[in-house]
This record gives sequence, structure tokens and C-alpha cells, in this order.
Amino acid sequence: MSDRACSVPQKCLACDAELRSPIVCQDCHKLYPIPKSVDYFELLGLDHRYDIDLSRLDDRFLSVSRHIHPDYFTNAGEEMGHLSTRLSAEINEALKVLKDPVLRAGYMLELSGGPSASDDRSVPPEILSESVMLREEIEQATADGDGKSLDSLRKRVEERGSQLLSRIRELAKQLPNASDDEKSSLRQALNSMKYYNNMLDLLWNS
Amino acid sequence: MAKDSEIIVGIDLGTTNSLVAYADKSGPSVITDGDYASVPSVVRFGVEGEIAAVGQEARDHAVEYAESTVYSIKRMMGRGFSQLEDEIRHLAYPVERRGSAEDPERDVAAVRVGARLITPPEISAAILGALKVRAERHFGRSIKKAVVTVPAYFDDAQRQATRDAAFIAGLEAVRIVNEPTAAALAYGLDRQEQAKIAVYDFGGGTFDVTLLKLSGDVFEVISTNGDTHLGGDDLDREIIKLATREIREEFGLEIDTPAIKQALRTFAERVKIALSSQTKTTLEIDLGNNRIYRRDISVQEFEELIDPWVDRTLTCCTQALRDARMHAQDVDQVVMVGGSTRIGHVRRRVGEFFGVRPYTALNPEQVVALGAAMQASILAGDRRDMLLLDVTPLSLGIETMGGAMGKLIMKNTKIPCQATESFTTFQDGQTAVKINILQGERELAQDCRSLGLFNLTCIPPMPSGMPKIDVTFLIDQNGILNVSAKEQRSGTVAGIQILPTHGLTVEEVKRMSTESLSHAREDMEAHRLIDLRNQVAFDTHKAEQMLERHGHLIEADLRGRLQEAMVSLRAFSGTTTECNDLSRRLTEFDHMMIPLAEVAVLAGVQRSDV
Repeated sequence: MSDRACSVPQKCLACDAELRSPIVCQDCHKLYPIPKSVDYFELLGLDHRYDIDLSRLDDRFLSVSRHIHPDYFTNAGEEMGHLSTRLSAEINEALKVLKDPVLRAGYMLELSGGPSASDDRSVPPEILSESVMLREEIEQATADGDGKSLDSLRKRVEERGSQLLSRIRELAKQLPNASDDEKSSLRQALNSMKYYNNMLDLLWNS
Repeated sequence: MAKDSEIIVGIDLGTTNSLVAYADKSGPSVITDGDYASVPSVVRFGVEGEIAAVGQEARDHAVEYAESTVYSIKRMMGRGFSQLEDEIRHLAYPVERRGSAEDPERDVAAVRVGARLITPPEISAAILGALKVRAERHFGRSIKKAVVTVPAYFDDAQRQATRDAAFIAGLEAVRIVNEPTAAALAYGLDRQEQAKIAVYDFGGGTFDVTLLKLSGDVFEVISTNGDTHLGGDDLDREIIKLATREIREEFGLEIDTPAIKQALRTFAERVKIALSSQTKTTLEIDLGNNRIYRRDISVQEFEELIDPWVDRTLTCCTQALRDARMHAQDVDQVVMVGGSTRIGHVRRRVGEFFGVRPYTALNPEQVVALGAAMQASILAGDRRDMLLLDVTPLSLGIETMGGAMGKLIMKNTKIPCQATESFTTFQDGQTAVKINILQGERELAQDCRSLGLFNLTCIPPMPSGMPKIDVTFLIDQNGILNVSAKEQRSGTVAGIQILPTHGLTVEEVKRMSTESLSHAREDMEAHRLIDLRNQVAFDTHKAEQMLERHGHLIEADLRGRLQEAMVSLRAFSGTTTECNDLSRRLTEFDHMMIPLAEVAVLAGVQRSDV
């Protein structure tokens, strides 16, 4: 992230007010690039824990957006305008990642160090064989135009997905103090989830 | 008002009609011209390719000048000739492919007028220019900034083309806003707390559906879907097709002349409007030589004709609900926008689909412009009490090896948003990399829309695979893509050259803008010349009267010179086209007349004394 500065300012450089957010002065609306050390939780002023309060996440997102949204920087000059666009893009990404239970788990796993799930790429073999089987069934049902089969396949995949999601939640709750074994199980679970999601996409578009 | 007290207007640049609105403290209102709230989106060109008429006048004489009157240009914005071939056959005016020397692959649809090929942004600029003039007359000052609305489902090229059109018209589009979002903003004035809303926007040429969550002063778009080639024009075409077929069967006539095509189009539109309030109307077309095509058409028949199109809009609604992970019954309110929602059948079917009675409190033709004006007042800094969060309608990606579409940003992602992707080289010493940027949901690059080829240049020569060029794709608050690139090992900022597939280059837009502004200057000169000539006629006429009545009171020598000056100024006025020269000569003449005028005034005083 090229826009991330190195240090976190404590006071607003423009109006000397105490900064409550690392990226915007709540008093004079001066904007600051995101400091390198600040993660999505800190950006939105939330505790580092997997079980987050989703309505609080929404509230925090809206209150930061209210200060940095590009709508309010049309007359603030080109530099501030660009900065507000880039900051908003980061805040939007932070919301997206933290709101989604799977993305949030993956993000926390990355923060805790070690390879990310997508770098690791490991998937339990039984998921691979199951997915090959399911795909064949989906293709067959699509070719036959068999709506009933597709519906029941969709239910099955959704059910398997939700079982996997519970497992991801269980494992992610252990972060950031999870053992290496737990972390590698989480990586596998996250990668397996991709298979189910791809299949669900396929089913919705069949 | 804004700090620099610049007025920002809201513009709805529609397929059929366009409007300009402004919001002050009492709320938004449409700027009208007498009885007319809207400017028909119709432009007529003269033989040299100059603008001959815009708006109502161009529409009124569309049949007379069928080949040089351009309508529904919005459907061609940012599109290529090859993408529009089906549609072009039905148009009364000729459309061709406009390539370019530097990029033979480029395909921009353009209208042929005499020797000129006029691009859609230039034609839209003429409409925007008329709205600009209307606003300038209203405020008595020049207007340079506007919020311009586009269908939510417009892709990057279509948005760019719209922004280019504003630029050519001498307007900065400070924001491109999605039409349904603008409509929601206007409706939000009397909103309830916490509601899920569907905006069903069926206009003249495009269809959009947008699902929003409203809570307090926050407008949050959840998903959007649509078809930028589905609108009232298509409904008209069903009637045209019916009449064309029956005329062929009954009279053995083919309708292929531009004038009859245009007449039929006007006619079809009238039938559609009649059937929105009546149960039956009569189609009657005089084909010449005592041949008259006449038949009754009932509402039922009309509804059957348009039903497939309504089905298509509902398919978009289904997809939008699916993307939002919502069901039709979760929607609390359906807001109707666009002229085509005046059709009873459309309202009924939309009502059935969502299970609620569609909300039509505001004029569906004006609600988008009103919302644009409200957005303009937010941007001007007049209000900070509303927060608008919109999404990108289409997934953005790049063509990967083997011609697949590699998605970087998914559709319905909140904007602004960004994604960074690393690229490298395949040959030693390679200094440039080409990237094909795509928008769409299909798996293969060829099935998606190509926004253009981005040529990354200035990469320092290194062995193949060594450079690491991070390319950041940023979709800004306008839904428009900005690309930046940096080579990580050397830290050099890579240059980016953009070749738009269906759009204009920055240079072309600048040139068109200069041309149009110089045309505007020519127009102004022409007006000034007319005004000066009128002044000359008036002043010389007065001088003639004074010479007749009071000429005997001044010396014969002066009388002779004044007589001479008067004749020569009249002659000069009739021949010159140089405003400045004429203005100077007129001032000199007025100056020469002062002694006579003084004598005349004195004579008048003396006479009244008697």
C-alpha cells in the first residue's frame, strides 16, 4: 500500500486538535494517509477479535465515512480530493473484509503471521474428491435441465458450506494465539471454502 | 452556496428527454423554459455538420429533416459500431464506424453528416450545451460545473463518454451519479426510517434496477443490475415492426426511406402514450397514392407486444435480488422512475413481482434531475447531512493467458474501491507490457466488454520475469477507472498509455472541446453582428429624421458630411462581418452626430417655449 505513511500523527497538523482517528481530523476534516502499522481493525477503531459486533462495525464504518467520503472534498483541492478517494477505497475494503466471516478469518490469519491461506494452497484430499464428484453431478443435472436435482444439489452444497463455516469460526476464534496446527487447519478450511463457493456460483448460474 | 460561490447544477441526460435542475435551501426544482421542463434529446445538423437546432425545434421537424436529425444518441455512447449493428438498421439517420489512424482496431460508432463523422459525445454535448444555456439564462451568470446522471448499469466506457460530452460542452462533470441513486435521493425527502427500497428505472433507452438500504440520512446501494439497451425505444419498435409487417403484406411496400422511418417512429410513440390512458387507439398512416394503412390496436394487443421486454426487466430484478441476497418480499417500497413506467401494464407487473404497490408520488420524468441537483448541493458543500454509498455495477478484470477473464473487483463492490495486481515481462529487456482491461461477468475475455488496451511503458530493461510492476486499478466515486503503475524493484513509475476500445482519446476530446467553444464564439460573434446592424439601422434612421427636421439649423458643410457618413455607415454595415470594425464606425458616427443632436434638443426646447 503505497499510500501508507510510516508514523501515526497524534495531533492534527492543521488545527492542533487531538486526533481520534489516524486518518482524519474530526474537527477540521484534514485527511492523513493511512499509517503502515495500522490494520483494518484499528482503522475502524475496533478490538482485534474474531467475534465482532456487526452493528458496531457498521456504525464505525459510517462514522468514518462521514468524515472522509469524496462527496465532501469536491472543493478541497485536487490533493485532498484524491486522498479522500483512496482512503474511502481502503475503508470500503476494510468493511468488506471484516464483515465477511470467511474473509475476516483469512485476514486475521495473515495478521498473525505465517503463510496466508492462498499462499499455502493446501486442501484436504477428501474435499478435492468430493468437489470433483459434485461438479460432475451439477454438469449432468444442467445438461438434463433437471431443476429438481439442481435444487437438491444446491441445498447439499449450502449445507456443507455452513458446516465448514462453523469450523472456520471455531478455529478463527483462537486467533491470534492459535497453535501452528490450528492455523494450518484454518488454512485448509479456508481453501476448502473456495471450492464450495465456486460450486455455489456454478449452481446459481445453471 | 459553495466557498467559491460556483453554481453546480444537476443534469439528467436522457435518451429521449434531458433536464437541468438546481437545489437551493428550499429544495430542488427543475429549471424550465416557459412551459417546457425538459429539452428533447434531439439534435439536427446542417449540411456542413454544424448544429442547426437542438431540443423541441429539432424534434418538431424530425420528419422533414429525417437524415440529419439525431435522436436516442445515449444508446450509442461509449459503444462500437459492431455492437450496434442490429439497432442501426432501424435508425432514420446514417451511422458508421469511426476508426483511427493510430489504432485501426478502434471502433467508435459515429453519425454521418455530409463529409463529417460526428461522435456520440459531440452530439450529447450539443444537448448539454442547450441545458447549460438554459441554466445560464436562469441565473444570469455562466455555469461551469454539473452533476450528470447515467444509468447505474453504464460501464466505464459509457461513463467516460458522458464525462467527455460534458467537457466538450464546456462543463466540468464534477460527479457522474447513477440515475436510480439520484432518484432515491429525491424520494428520500419524505422517507421512512430504515427501509429497503427497489428503484425500477425504465427510461427511453435503458433499464436499471437498484436495491438500496435507507437508514436515517444514509443511502446505501446494495446491488444494481440492468440493461443499457432496453427502453421505451424498444417498445416503440414493436409497434413499428407490426405496422411495417402489415404494410408489406397489405400493400407490398417496404418502409425504408428515412422520412417514413421517422414518421413511423413518432407515430409509434404516440400510440404508446395513447394506450397508457385509453383502452384502444387507431393506427393510421398515409402511404401516398390513396393508400392508407389503418387498423385499431387495443391495450391487450399492445401488452402482448411489450411483455417480452417487461420480462427482461424482471429478470434483471431477479439477478439484483440474488446479488443482494434478498427476496422480493424483503423489499419495503418500489420506486418508479423513467417515462416507460407510465405504462399501466409495466406498473402492474412490477407490483406483482415485488408484492407491493409501486410508489409514484413524484413525476417519474423529473425525479432523476431533482436528485442530481441534491447531489450537486452536497458536493457544493451546502450540506453534510447525507451520505451516499454507491457500488460498481460490473466486475472489473484483465485478460489473462488463454483469453480468460481474471476478475480483480467484483460487481456490487462499494465505490471508491481498488485492487492491485503484479505484472512482469516475458522477454529479456522488455520495456513495455500491454494489458487488456475488461468489464463484465462472463468467463471468457471475448464475452466481456474491453475498456481498452493499457500499455505500460518505461519499464527499466531487466532479464525476463525480473520486473515487478504493481498496477493499481482504482474505481473512483464516479464509477470510472483510474490506473496507476509502479515498478517495484527500481521504484520507477511506469507510464500508461490508454487506447480506448470504443471511446475517444484525451487529445480528441480536447480538440472537440476547443472546436465547439470556437463554434460558440462564432455564434456569439454572429449574434453581436446582428445586434450591431440593428443598432446601425436605428441610429442612422434617427439621424435621417433629425437631418430632415433640423438640418437647416447647422452649417451646410457639416450637413453634407453627416449625410455622407450616414450613407457610408449603412453601406458598411450591410457588407462587413467584422464586429469590432462596425462597432468602431458606429461609435464614430454617434460622436459626429452630437452637434446636430444638441441643436435638435435646443430647437425642441425653444419650440415648447413658444
